[in-house]
Amino acid sequence: MSIQPIPETGPESPPSISGAQIPKRTSSRSAGGRPIWLMWPSAIMLFVIVGLPFLIALYISFLNLDQYTLRSWIHAPWVGLENYVESFTAGNIVGTSTLVSLGVSFGFAILTTAFITPIGILAALTVNTPFRGRGVVRALYLIPYVIPTFVTALVWRMMFLNKTGLIDRFLAGIHVANINTYWLLGPNSFWAMIITDVWASWAFIYIMVLAGLQSIPADMYDAASVDGANSWQRLTRIVLPQLRGILGLALLLSTLNHFNNFTLPFVMFGTPPPVQVDVLPLNIYVSSFQLFNFGLGGAMSVITLLIMLIPGIFYIRTIRLGEVTV
Amino acid sequence: MKKIKRQRNSQDILPPTVRIIATVFLLVFALIPVIYTVLLSVTPDSEITSGENLIPSHWAFSNYIQMWTSVNLAQGLFNSLLISLTASAIAVVLAVGAGYVISRFKFFGRMPYLYSLIGLQTVPGVMLLLPLFVLFASAQAALHFKLVGTYQAVIVTYLTFALPFAIWLMVSYLSSIPIDLEEAALVDGATRLQALWSVIVPLALPGVVVALVFSFLTGWNDVLFASVLTSPETRTIAVQLQAFSSAQEGGALPLYGQLMGASIVSALPVVILYMVFQRYLIGGLTAGGVKG
Repeated sequence: MSIQPIPETGPESPPSISGAQIPKRTSSRSAGGRPIWLMWPSAIMLFVIVGLPFLIALYISFLNLDQYTLRSWIHAPWVGLENYVESFTAGNIVGTSTLVSLGVSFGFAILTTAFITPIGILAALTVNTPFRGRGVVRALYLIPYVIPTFVTALVWRMMFLNKTGLIDRFLAGIHVANINTYWLLGPNSFWAMIITDVWASWAFIYIMVLAGLQSIPADMYDAASVDGANSWQRLTRIVLPQLRGILGLALLLSTLNHFNNFTLPFVMFGTPPPVQVDVLPLNIYVSSFQLFNFGLGGAMSVITLLIMLIPGIFYIRTIRLGEVTV
Repeated sequence: MKKIKRQRNSQDILPPTVRIIATVFLLVFALIPVIYTVLLSVTPDSEITSGENLIPSHWAFSNYIQMWTSVNLAQGLFNSLLISLTASAIAVVLAVGAGYVISRFKFFGRMPYLYSLIGLQTVPGVMLLLPLFVLFASAQAALHFKLVGTYQAVIVTYLTFALPFAIWLMVSYLSSIPIDLEEAALVDGATRLQALWSVIVPLALPGVVVALVFSFLTGWNDVLFASVLTSPETRTIAVQLQAFSSAQEGGALPLYGQLMGASIVSALPVVILYMVFQRYLIGGLTAGGVKG
């Protein structure tokens, strides 16, 4: 009979609102009528701009579509699951197989999330209680997160330039690595991408955890103090368990977003990218727009989507848990 | 939140020294790339590529002048601003309407619709790129109406992409506004729309601001769709910078300094936007989540 608003977020964004009072569903007999039509514009747009292309992409994945057959794409030859099979077999000329890309994408998403979680939690803990200058610190913490992705990519590309970039200079300065270490090509590129995205997105976890911290009742802390708990115990026994819900959500969203991230690797490494950073979105882009194998690109998109559905369903179930009933 | 005054706030998890060290470390981590970018933007390009000294021998402020022509920066900024502002404004208006209906009324397909909004957010952008382009191109041919390369196509695309999150946000916010206020207005003779406009929206303003900011960002940050849907006249700053950067790689003397300067300028509006609305954004987080 009512929706319980629970901490929820969208892509790359923090808000979590738990409402106090929830209005009851109104019937059409109440004064003022039911302006259901208010929903139509958005529903129509979503269908036309997202729904239809989605269906088209699905259809394309079963076709052998290239730049020649694109004009009358509806009549392009039907090849069934051939694209799907092809995407899994050994890589094409410039690209890599879907399996490799899957591995890269997963590795990237999971590792990045694993790194940003402790950083975000730590950051939230440093500003949870007031101190002089806290507002400034909070504002500064946000900067890496709010800088547009393409700027982040360009900045870190400069930092990772071999020989002249800040990273190589620093590492050589402390005698840890050769000054001419390549970060934008070769095996290090994977780590370059992770480091960049960690820098850009730890604030996401920070924001979520901060919100969660603020909702821990003060009495819990006080009780712990009375019981003589030390810092570590307070952290692990009180704070972290309370944060489980919001952390779970944050981790889920983070993994999902990093998996789908196209802009960062695209701007940072260009196309075709080194195999170590050939994440799925990039691979799909290369297949479709540089190799003009649209059918293959479509098949890989569908595979990506199917994989995304798994955390997506988790996400939905988590949201649903907060609901009483429709 | 009531805090009992103690010698040390019991909510402080970290011992003071740990806290200070962590804060400093985090700030350094967060800001070094920013400082480096500023430094590079005033370094002569020859010194960037030769990699001799960190501090340039002379300040190349000329980068900030030349970049406007090298990148057609002004046009790009204008385009990005126009597109993102329009898309976000329309998206939020639509989202408020949709959110209002979903949070107040029962109708057939309500829950599936809500869940589909989440599902839509998981669709990878790359998947939609070609079909959307094909859709626009076909419509363009059929209707004899220029679409690809216009502002309208990009605005419509961005606004639709921003909708799922904006609607979710508004549903959350609007659900937490008690219905008595509207009903009072209705009793006074207002229509639902009037009640919505004069009573609900002002109350939901934090949510509206958050939705606006995030929708704005959807447009500002996007590279993928802009690269396909814009013409040289309507190109956004994201695509311009990305193209400029990849053009440098093959060149004799990469214009890194100008690239960095242009990057700063294109990040600035967004950073300022966030700083201005920071209170709303973070406030929107904790509002309602705070227990007395």
